[in-house]
Amino acid sequence: MTSSDDSTAGSLRKALAGAGPLGAPDPWEAAIRKVAQHQDRAEFKKLFDHYAPMIKAFLSKGISSYADRSLAEEMTQEVMLKVWNKADSFNPAKASVNTWIFTIARNTRIDFIRRNGRADRTIDIEDIWHEADSPEPVVELQQRRVETMIRNAMATLPEEQALVLEKAFMESKSHNEIAEELALPLGTVKSRIRLALSKLQILIDR
Amino acid sequence: MISYHPDSRYLTDFATANLPLAEAVCVSAHLEFCGKCRAHVQQLTDVGGHMFARLQPEAVSEDSFAALMARVSAGAQEQAPVVTVQTPREELDETTQSHVFLPRAVRRLVSGSLDKLRWVQLGKALRVAPLQVSDESRDTAIYDIRAGGRMPEHEHRGEEITVLLQGSFSDADGSYSRGDFVVRHAGESHQPTATMDKDCICLVCLERPVRPRGLLYRLLEPLVNYRLQRLNRSVA
Ligand SMILES: [Zn+2]
Repeated sequence: MTSSDDSTAGSLRKALAGAGPLGAPDPWEAAIRKVAQHQDRAEFKKLFDHYAPMIKAFLSKGISSYADRSLAEEMTQEVMLKVWNKADSFNPAKASVNTWIFTIARNTRIDFIRRNGRADRTIDIEDIWHEADSPEPVVELQQRRVETMIRNAMATLPEEQALVLEKAFMESKSHNEIAEELALPLGTVKSRIRLALSKLQILIDR
Repeated sequence: MISYHPDSRYLTDFATANLPLAEAVCVSAHLEFCGKCRAHVQQLTDVGGHMFARLQPEAVSEDSFAALMARVSAGAQEQAPVVTVQTPREELDETTQSHVFLPRAVRRLVSGSLDKLRWVQLGKALRVAPLQVSDESRDTAIYDIRAGGRMPEHEHRGEEITVLLQGSFSDADGSYSRGDFVVRHAGESHQPTATMDKDCICLVCLERPVRPRGLLYRLLEPLVNYRLQRLNRSVA
């Protein structure tokens, strides 16, 4: 979707978040573009050296409980292969490189868990977690892109709120799983996460 | 106008991909109707991207990049042209001659067409078609309530999510229209009535009762229970 709504959002996002603290553009955007346009292996090597260890760290957190570490290595390769293959679908108006690679790692992880659990696959992960090409435009929330806000506010979160965010986003745990692990009522976990999100200017009504 | 949205738990568990698959299908369907929730999911995903970028890196093995590039080279040689199956975004509803917009996840689950589903007629007003989602804790189905039709009042033993795909219905708590994401908790009972002008087509996801039974029975159980209750009442 390339409506005017989206390109406005894109420039807004760049102004807010794509640029680094000093207004420098995200250097990894250019690297992804070169991989997409010229299958540039030297640039891809740079991306790999930077992102593969982070991907492995993320996947290790999510799978450490039930699988050995060589699996994280294998899946990291899988994620980077997708980065190579999908580089031309990267849209800087929709996501930063960090967010884009995070979603690929997230989807690879859940896809792996599913395939391991059951053989029959009636629906692909990509059919559920997709960039909706819906005719309904994304609403311009006050801060649609919140990376600047996140950067500034994350450090000031009380420990108990930072902890639940860490468990949800990096350890890939659901509200229920967090509640069980921390021996807290589900409602407490929900309100802690909601409170933390509101400090990052993500204001969800309920 | 969409009035009912998934709460922060659904949206966060969706953005972190920790939602049971059948519920994720419901949230995904709602997102295609709702720009506001889609913006929230983007924001939440940015939180993930931010935290991801600040993880303590874990070294990968030295030959990892070479192995990956070997796969890339091998893949390039045998790469077949990518075939994307185009399923229509809308389909003609034969009874009402109106177009039904189906969100991508639903389109995929019904293999493109509502008419090809295995429908089970339940009285005059309601037909139900079970869907296969590999999810052990939930049952998923499409409900089609005839325009003006009324479902029997029924009570849920588990949580129920309804996403309206077409038409509208109302019950004692409110009225719901296309795109709405309605949650009913265990123990709540309701009696939905479709509005007069159009059939109401819904995506429904039901939490499974603890004791497993046949798929179709579980989907119909709230309604069957209702009939049994009525029967018992009239006998007593
Ligand atoms: Zn919504």
